[in-house]
Amino acid sequence: MQVHKYDVVIVGAGGAGMRAAIESGQRAHTAVLTKLYPTRSHTGAAQGGMCAALANVEEDNWEWHTFDTVKGGDYLVDQDAAEVMAKEAIDAVLDLEKMGLPFNRTPEGKIDQRRFGGHTRDHGKAAVRRACYAADRTGHMILQTLYQNCVKHNVEFYNEYYVLDLITVEEDATREDGTTYKQKRVAGVVTYDLASGELHIFQAKSVVFATGGLGKIFKTTSNAHTLTADGMALAYRAGIPLEDMEFVQFHPTGLAGLGVLLSEAARGEGGILRNSDGERFMERYAPTIKDLAPRDIVARAMAQEVREGRGAGPNKDYVYLDLTHLEPEHIDAKLPDITEFARTYLAVEPHTEPVPVFPTCHYAMGGVPTNIKAEVLQDNEVVVPGLYAAGEVACVSVHGSNRLGTNSLLDINVFGKRAGIYAAEYASTAEFVELPEAPETFVTEQLEMLRNSSGDQRVATIRAELQDTMDLNMQVFRSEESIREALDKIYELKGRYQQITVQDKGKRFNLDLLEALELGFLLDMAEVMTVSAMHRKESRGGHYREDYPDRDDENFMLHSMLYKDPGFETEGVKGIRFDTKPVIFTRYEPMERKY
Amino acid sequence: MSTPTVEKEPASKIDLAESGDGAGAVQQFDITLKVRRYDPERTEDAWWDEWNLTMFGTDRVLDALHKVKWDVDGTLTFRRSCAHGICGSDAMRINGRNRLACKTLLKDLDTSKPIIVEAIKGLPVEKDLIVDMEPFFQSYREIMPFMINSSPTPTAERVQSPEERQRFDDTTKCILCAACTSSCPVFWTDGQYFGPAAIVNAHRFIFDSRDDAGDMRLEILNDREGVWRCRTTFNCTEACPRGIEVTKAIQEVKTAILTRSL
Amino acid sequence: MTATNSEAVLPAQGIEAPRSGRIDPKYLRSSASSGSFEMVAWVFMRVSGAALVVLIFVHLFSNLMVGEGIHQIDFAFVAGKWANPVWQFWDLTMLWLAMLHGTNGMRTIINDYAEKDSTRLWLKSILYLACAVIIILGTLVIFTFEPCLLDDAGNLMDYSPSFCESVVN
Repeated sequence: MQVHKYDVVIVGAGGAGMRAAIESGQRAHTAVLTKLYPTRSHTGAAQGGMCAALANVEEDNWEWHTFDTVKGGDYLVDQDAAEVMAKEAIDAVLDLEKMGLPFNRTPEGKIDQRRFGGHTRDHGKAAVRRACYAADRTGHMILQTLYQNCVKHNVEFYNEYYVLDLITVEEDATREDGTTYKQKRVAGVVTYDLASGELHIFQAKSVVFATGGLGKIFKTTSNAHTLTADGMALAYRAGIPLEDMEFVQFHPTGLAGLGVLLSEAARGEGGILRNSDGERFMERYAPTIKDLAPRDIVARAMAQEVREGRGAGPNKDYVYLDLTHLEPEHIDAKLPDITEFARTYLAVEPHTEPVPVFPTCHYAMGGVPTNIKAEVLQDNEVVVPGLYAAGEVACVSVHGSNRLGTNSLLDINVFGKRAGIYAAEYASTAEFVELPEAPETFVTEQLEMLRNSSGDQRVATIRAELQDTMDLNMQVFRSEESIREALDKIYELKGRYQQITVQDKGKRFNLDLLEALELGFLLDMAEVMTVSAMHRKESRGGHYREDYPDRDDENFMLHSMLYKDPGFETEGVKGIRFDTKPVIFTRYEPMERKY
Repeated sequence: MSTPTVEKEPASKIDLAESGDGAGAVQQFDITLKVRRYDPERTEDAWWDEWNLTMFGTDRVLDALHKVKWDVDGTLTFRRSCAHGICGSDAMRINGRNRLACKTLLKDLDTSKPIIVEAIKGLPVEKDLIVDMEPFFQSYREIMPFMINSSPTPTAERVQSPEERQRFDDTTKCILCAACTSSCPVFWTDGQYFGPAAIVNAHRFIFDSRDDAGDMRLEILNDREGVWRCRTTFNCTEACPRGIEVTKAIQEVKTAILTRSL
Repeated sequence: MTATNSEAVLPAQGIEAPRSGRIDPKYLRSSASSGSFEMVAWVFMRVSGAALVVLIFVHLFSNLMVGEGIHQIDFAFVAGKWANPVWQFWDLTMLWLAMLHGTNGMRTIINDYAEKDSTRLWLKSILYLACAVIIILGTLVIFTFEPCLLDDAGNLMDYSPSFCESVVN
């Protein structure tokens, strides 16, 4: 067992993690722990752009951006956070440009901008060109640029180290009003070195979680195989609540059957969605901005078309993304990668043929609750000193119930930077929290259990069944019945998970073993998501209940907070405590959301 | 400029009846997958394993590997992440050519013969298809793959014309998968050559109008293990899953070093 | 790094370094080369290659096409050519360029295919020695060539070029 000591430990080396590392690495002794080589992170899969009100091509300002973000999130957005993000977006883009990011340029040599779903001028009057981009590889460029700058600043990476436990301690503390509570403090993390199979403990004053999302809960997803909710599950197991987990974004244009992402930029550049009759159906759902409506609306509209029998293809189970009316040179210049995906994976030529698309699980709006300093909250108010989270794993909440396109690249840059700065700042004055006795015990036991299990359950089977049931019951349309079905299935799968077995018993690069652990994370998070969805008896943003099709501000203008707590039961599921947290309003009153 | 979203009559562009088969009609076929295995914990020598699998028309080599790992033999080990060709985790030698497993459709290979999968060459194999990537990233780090600009930072962005931006566009696409470097016969010999990937990433900065350190990078690549070891075999260009003209980039760097010396 | 971190366990203090610092020594470049030898060599290959095309084709043309063609080549013909300083220079250039071009090509091949440093050293030593021998020998021949050889009786050898008549007499 090796113990390493660092001022700041960053978990995850995607956009948020590396953005934090660039800040923290220059201020404090920092290590980045990542289960993938940094450039493999899924930030690189983002395509369309990163919004900031630079007003390089059209009149724009950050206040409009804030409004769009709030409205896009169906008013479940914490408006102070949205303001911070929209305001700092401008610097975030300029920072990246100065780090060397090769943005597309206007003829004058400034950063070019394009239209994107839900981004409008003057509070919804018309679509605005706000997304700064580099062809349809903006995420790739961001990831590469951040990695390049980590190399520049000699950031210390521990590649292929899986963080398997968050070490926290609890102390008695007293509030100002004299009441007592348990204050959590972070001491470090337990990691597993994939190459050697050895455990390493990292003791740290600050820990930044930037572990990304949970897309692999679903079968059809644009997410990487490695996005298995690790960070959320670890925080949850350590007694930290999870906020708004019912809100999952389904990206409208995933390649049908595969889920591979085709950027919203395709519609930003003029692409049109059509049903089997060739009708531009978005005109019926969002008369003003049509195909550039926010993703939840478009995804639902597509699913609705298919349900009503207007789907295309032999099984009538997808719709078309039509780019054929655009100039081929324009498509090749602005959307080179996604057209290649269509050619490679579906043998469809986007210049002349419509591309089959269907919604694909894309993004978790919820996650580990943080404040605008990226500090993790252990309940509605109390901060866990030294613990930070940024990116998809966190819920600030800037995305509310539905994230606008491009706002995730923005989120990782704005809050990644903040997390890095505040984590280093905290570490400069704080002391190390003493490690508890044998902090690795839990992980060791888990690993031993999996290695020595005599069960007969296979990881892949359970995972596939989980993904099937989630796709079937928890996708864009949900109802009490379907959610109940998902919950029952998850309960069954969690039982079977106890009898799981792995074939690879070795120490070296044992990915078989880690897939089993990741499945544990997925099951936990699927359960939390489903319970949370059951509890929210309204439709808002990415969460649509057929039995409650309207938004209900009176009862549900609140964030959901779910705690792992053995003494409680929520929606018939033992061990989960449900609570709510008020939404922060600054300037915008909730209105009906129409586009 | 964005093309305005003008309404078009769908019938004029799309014959929906004909385009109906898009992703739907999926044929099924049998393949033999033959993988070179290595696990020093089990045995010192590498060995070959073969599996017969039934796969579908849209399946990729990665799907076949997953099918084995998930349904047959959990010890089969390989790296993968995004599964659509942008993370660069799963570069491997497929039928003797460096490819990303997630971008190689089975139906595009000759399925009448076994599909042969090996780890990429030239880097130390750690287990099955996993190689040690550190030497590869070390070369990458040595060419200073980051922008260096010593002029005062402007408040807004640094200006760069679309033409200047276009100059290095091709090499910004690199995903560091190592398919090129591990396809290079010169690299196979002794691993001393910087390799195509490092040069491509140097190219990306050398030809960026905003960067000031082009000279330093050219000096680094003027090393005896630098660009002059390139024999223009074009293996790298052929291997690149991103379609980067790697050999051309290397030649451009050679020209730049020469021009600078004269 | 802050002062409070002084007790941090760093790799230097006995803990195995993270893998990002661990590289198979085989891949470490021994030392950065100084100067631009490889660049000069690269340019030389292209320039000498182009020059050799001219040198060799003129050589072939003058030897094989002009006059009686291939049938004219004998001792006298060669001696006749080397009596002319232009041809002396021509052949000298051809010799040097061809040898250096070929040797550098071989050097490259050895670099690319010999995997062990010792093998490389041996092969290259032999190569350079052979190259040096041939260049020196060739140069000597061109400059010390005696066209008008006499037999024991003091008469011109019968394959001597015609201009020897005047020289001897």
